[in-house]
Amino acid sequence: MKVIMKNLGKKYEGREEFTLRHIDLEIDHQDFCVILGPSGCGKTTLLRMIAGLNSITEGDLYFNERRVNTVPPKDRDIAMVFQSYALYPHMTVYDNMAFSLNMRKESKKVIDERVNEAARLLQIENNLYAKPADISGGQRQRVALGRAIVRNPKVFLMDEPLSNLDAKLREHMRVELVRIHKQLGTTTIYVTHDQTEAMTMATKIILMNEGKIQQVGKPDDFYNKPENIFVARFIGSPTMNIIKGKYENGKFISENNTITLTPSDKDKEVLKNFEGKNVTIGIRPERFESGSEFTDTFETKIDVIEMLGKEKTLFTTLKDGSELVISTPGHYKYEEGEVHTFGFDVSAIHYFDSENGERINK
Amino acid sequence: MIKKKSKKEKLYLSDRPPLSLPGKIGLGFSYLVLFSWVVAIVWPLYQMVVSAFNGRQEQRIMANTNFEFSTKHFEYLFTETLYLQWVKNTIFIAGATAILTLIVVSFTGYAYSRYRFAGRKASLMAIMLIQTIPTFAGITAYFTMHSIVSAVIPEFTRQMMLILIYTGGGIASNTFILKGYIDSVSTELDDAAKIDGCSNFDVYRLIIMPIARPMLTIIALWSFIGPFMDYLMARVLLTNPSSYTLAAGLFTLISDFRTLNQPAFAAGGLLTAIPIVALFIVLQRQLVSGLTSGSVKG
Repeated sequence: MKVIMKNLGKKYEGREEFTLRHIDLEIDHQDFCVILGPSGCGKTTLLRMIAGLNSITEGDLYFNERRVNTVPPKDRDIAMVFQSYALYPHMTVYDNMAFSLNMRKESKKVIDERVNEAARLLQIENNLYAKPADISGGQRQRVALGRAIVRNPKVFLMDEPLSNLDAKLREHMRVELVRIHKQLGTTTIYVTHDQTEAMTMATKIILMNEGKIQQVGKPDDFYNKPENIFVARFIGSPTMNIIKGKYENGKFISENNTITLTPSDKDKEVLKNFEGKNVTIGIRPERFESGSEFTDTFETKIDVIEMLGKEKTLFTTLKDGSELVISTPGHYKYEEGEVHTFGFDVSAIHYFDSENGERINK
Repeated sequence: MIKKKSKKEKLYLSDRPPLSLPGKIGLGFSYLVLFSWVVAIVWPLYQMVVSAFNGRQEQRIMANTNFEFSTKHFEYLFTETLYLQWVKNTIFIAGATAILTLIVVSFTGYAYSRYRFAGRKASLMAIMLIQTIPTFAGITAYFTMHSIVSAVIPEFTRQMMLILIYTGGGIASNTFILKGYIDSVSTELDDAAKIDGCSNFDVYRLIIMPIARPMLTIIALWSFIGPFMDYLMARVLLTNPSSYTLAAGLFTLISDFRTLNQPAFAAGGLLTAIPIVALFIVLQRQLVSGLTSGSVKG
């Protein structure tokens, strides 16, 4: 099912400001759409509006052609998985999963079939008659998923469902969720603050900040073509290096003259209009080149080395004291305290307008 | 080298540091206080039991009389007084009070916990403050209210008035308690239930009420015990001995010299405990708390 939002806005009772405003979005059928953002950005509010748990202050919400602004949650043909799982503690796993079907007065036979099918899919057949308190966190997570699956919903809503799991299990469930999504062929809307989850699972990411949509697109776009400085800094770990400076005489010069950079010919085209203006560049830690054969090199002192195995993260300071994070393959040898020369991969520089933070080299 | 252990060394297993001398004295003092407390509670009870079964006691309980086992005071209670009627009255009033309180408090507790409405805090505070005025202060109003209502509906007895007074008195504090308990239940459960197809009433009936059962049980139990304990309201409001509650009825056995029979009073007091204890045993299984565990978080 398609989910379409037109100029959606939400203002809570007793608040001065709109929590969300001017949200225009289209989520296609069978999309795995991840709404990403820091805490307090309004992502959960947006999800709860889609679920019908929060009212819509302004704008329209459509499921396909049907306007659902005032439709109660139970009639929206949705299912939701909550961050805290929200399992009914006094019911067995079976009853938890059967609850929504019972409320819809489905026949016993249908309920039994569906619950068993979901249990098989999620590998919780052996726990069907346990209470939620008696099973592990990962199993509870599956029950919560199962409760959503048995309803056969058109839209799956998930509110940070993996944040209570430990790292290993989370990794495993990420893959599992995508597999289930594909198997069911539904539309999934998934809220998270974890960019790894967004990058690995999504077919479409919506990045929000302060009640506004910052960028909508494929994970690949987010990493390689962030639309503004916020997106650039939010996506990727370690965080992208942001260097403020000026564009003069076809060259980028950083604020304290520690870095000079000649853009690639392609970027020079678009940067023409910014001659003499303030420009900010962004460069991902892995896009530095080691060695002195490059034209624009700079010297930096390595303060701390983080060894991650397949790569090393170097936390360095430039001459003027500003910090730069560089990651290199794990087998390269560096010493803490060493001063090293690095160059740039000029094809991987992101240019932003310092005035409004928008991307220049689109 | 081989050393035989003459005696098993005593291992110090407590997690607390060993007691110093002042600590030991303090501990001894604590025990002394606790024991005198126990004596203060148990001694009158013991006297009550002994007097109730002592056939040598007449009308007035005398100290230093010999003991002779007999159930004649109980017989007196059942044959010469309206004891059974009083028990019936009390159980009727207590039961009705408990049920009414449960119904009302269920709604108010849930509403105060889950809904945001104008005057929510203010009204809750107001009810709590009004609670500090003793119920008895309104006695004239109760009389008037009763005579007005009973003029229209003759079936409205004084006992029913009493039920309403007991219920009304318990609503405020019990609402507060239940609200606090329901507050601790994650609202995500409500959301999940609503998506699963529950109406607001269904959410309470199917999800919240089963979770809040331990608290509801305690509220029911306390509301039930209340009428057993209260003497004043019952004595003033109920004028006919056949409509007395236990407390009011038993008091006639020690207050009025015409009906004076102190051992029978002791026997009656002893029997009063039976319905309460029985209810407590029945409800004990419901009182297990911690039902919410496992609903949320890993």
